[in-house]
Amino acid sequence: MTMRLVSAELVESRQILPGQWIQSFNAPELAAGSRAGQFVHVRTGDYSGLVLRRPFSINTADPATGIITLHFRTVGRGTEWLTRAREGDRLDMLGPLGRPFEVDPRSRHLLLIAGGLGMAGIRMLADEAVRDGRQVVVLFGAQSAAHVYPSSLLPDEVEYVVATDDGSLGHHGFVTELVTQYEAWADQAFACGPHAMLKRLAALAAGRRERLGVAKLGRKRGGGKQDPLGSTSARRKAFLQVSMEQTMGCAVGACLGCTVIGVDGPQRVCREGPVFAAEEIAWESIA
Amino acid sequence: MKAKRTIITFGDMRVGKDSNRSKRTPTVRKDKTAIIPVDRFPALPGDRPRVETGSAAVADLGAPAAARPSMAEREALDRVDLSVELAPTRGLRLANPIMVASGTFGYGVEYGEVVDVQRIGAICCKGTTLRPRAGNAPPRVTETPGGMLNSIGLQNPGVDAVIEKYGPVWQGWKVPVIVNIAGESIEDYVEVARRLDGVPGVAGIELNISCPNVGKGGLQFAIDRDAARAVTAAVRRATDLPLLVKLSPNVADVRPIAKAIEEAGADAITAINTLSGLAVSPDRTRALLGNTFGGLSGPAIKPVALRIVYEVAQVVSIPIVAIGGITNLGDVLDFFACGAVAVQVGTAIFADPELPVRLGEELAAECVRRGLTSYGPLVGTALPKRAGASSAKGAEYRP
Repeated sequence: MTMRLVSAELVESRQILPGQWIQSFNAPELAAGSRAGQFVHVRTGDYSGLVLRRPFSINTADPATGIITLHFRTVGRGTEWLTRAREGDRLDMLGPLGRPFEVDPRSRHLLLIAGGLGMAGIRMLADEAVRDGRQVVVLFGAQSAAHVYPSSLLPDEVEYVVATDDGSLGHHGFVTELVTQYEAWADQAFACGPHAMLKRLAALAAGRRERLGVAKLGRKRGGGKQDPLGSTSARRKAFLQVSMEQTMGCAVGACLGCTVIGVDGPQRVCREGPVFAAEEIAWESIA
Repeated sequence: MKAKRTIITFGDMRVGKDSNRSKRTPTVRKDKTAIIPVDRFPALPGDRPRVETGSAAVADLGAPAAARPSMAEREALDRVDLSVELAPTRGLRLANPIMVASGTFGYGVEYGEVVDVQRIGAICCKGTTLRPRAGNAPPRVTETPGGMLNSIGLQNPGVDAVIEKYGPVWQGWKVPVIVNIAGESIEDYVEVARRLDGVPGVAGIELNISCPNVGKGGLQFAIDRDAARAVTAAVRRATDLPLLVKLSPNVADVRPIAKAIEEAGADAITAINTLSGLAVSPDRTRALLGNTFGGLSGPAIKPVALRIVYEVAQVVSIPIVAIGGITNLGDVLDFFACGAVAVQVGTAIFADPELPVRLGEELAAECVRRGLTSYGPLVGTALPKRAGASSAKGAEYRP
């Protein structure tokens, strides 16, 4: 679906964790036309001198009810303004924007990895994968038990594994340390979170073949003809896809503000992304 | 119904009796033949489904018709001619004076179906250089109170790629596309202009001599009168395309520079580019933007832009295109009052992509409300009545 300006009515707003909110909007056009990984650009009240829209991953979209949800943390004036919106308020949204996650039709086992608010980036993919009959493991990392995304908000079918930095719940350490236990099982992995986490995952994914001793057999997965980097078909074959974040201006590719450095030069998070195959990103440029 | 066309011209400045009025007030004359008829309003508000964009706050002038206009209103709107000529000798006629600013609208195609580009006055495309440029390190944009900082660093695929990719698209549009060009040396500017000369779909050139975000090239031409004169004159010799030159606000006195640009043969002046600024990272260990400095735009810079337009309007007689923090019709009228004949909308597009088209509609409605058939009488109304007397004014505001 091409992007459009949509007037979305807030139908529910609730704080799921300290400082983290999920808001539901009635926006049938967005609910029907969006895919996991895409985002909307939301206009905040202009009375307060906020001149830019705010980009949010589409957390869930239900075409049957016409409801989409957004999951965000209050980090500044824009998100604080959002938390003050009331049921019935209409928000101006531009979307759906960006390119979605590309799942290989042959993939049976999907590994989803989220750090903190990165859950908002991969949450909808869990729904889509379950709908398509795939098996899903969600690895989630947070500071402490108080920041762990409630399992009740995930589909029942997914396996949910948690790591906390202070060990107050689940694995004591980074979520990336859990990945090696699942990399043999997974056909593909999808991640969203802090760039440092994504960088570590990209390094793990690059060494996966050797660790697992996977031979390159025939034309399967990358053998034979090479798809151009960044194309949908190349992404579909990639083991790891990441959803990147960058401060954003227009969100349609006009201002070139939201770039990350790719191996082929600057890439717009809003147009070429926000989802990239891990091998498209020049990870050495990311701190 | 055939509407009478009213043309605003700026060429004739040796007016005798009228000269007690502001020098900038354009002469308004009736002319039936000079213009190719332009379908200014292919669709009136209400003809296509419009979403509530939550931008009602923008319409604080009480002007625009929210509902479908009646037959009489439609006829009244039809009689209003918003067209403006930015390059009287070379021909750069805009159907309305609301343009979109370079860097905020890409190459005109990015907003897709969200914006009907044909109803914009003119499009200034992203700054284009001779060779491709990768731009600055991210992050490149950040919001500031009432504005934003950007340091894109002129990322673009180079003039040849732009011509090849977008020329055919622009050719099919009736909205004029003005290519914004930048360079590191006079030779760069001249070569880019030469390659654009004669390309179908390119209606004009905007000389970006004021980009604050590239280390080498650009800004040095805008801060020095002789350099500004030299680059303008060189490009003028290289092309017959209508030539706009974009001023930088990052100078002590912009007037001698504007005068030099006019003398060097520019058809119009665009004022202003962004103000150089800085933001600090959240942990306060470094600058936030990858390029350290960025250009400030948005409503925060509107008073600066107004001051510069006001000053420049009193020293040049070529048309002035104003830019800086426009978010509603009131802002447009402010710039008209200070002597601008057209405006560019920039940062506000990011929040409200429909704004440029809506401003055109609102301006027409405002003319109807005031009983005008063109907006000529709104131009220059705030300028001092005696030409020249105010040039000392403004000195007190200078940093």
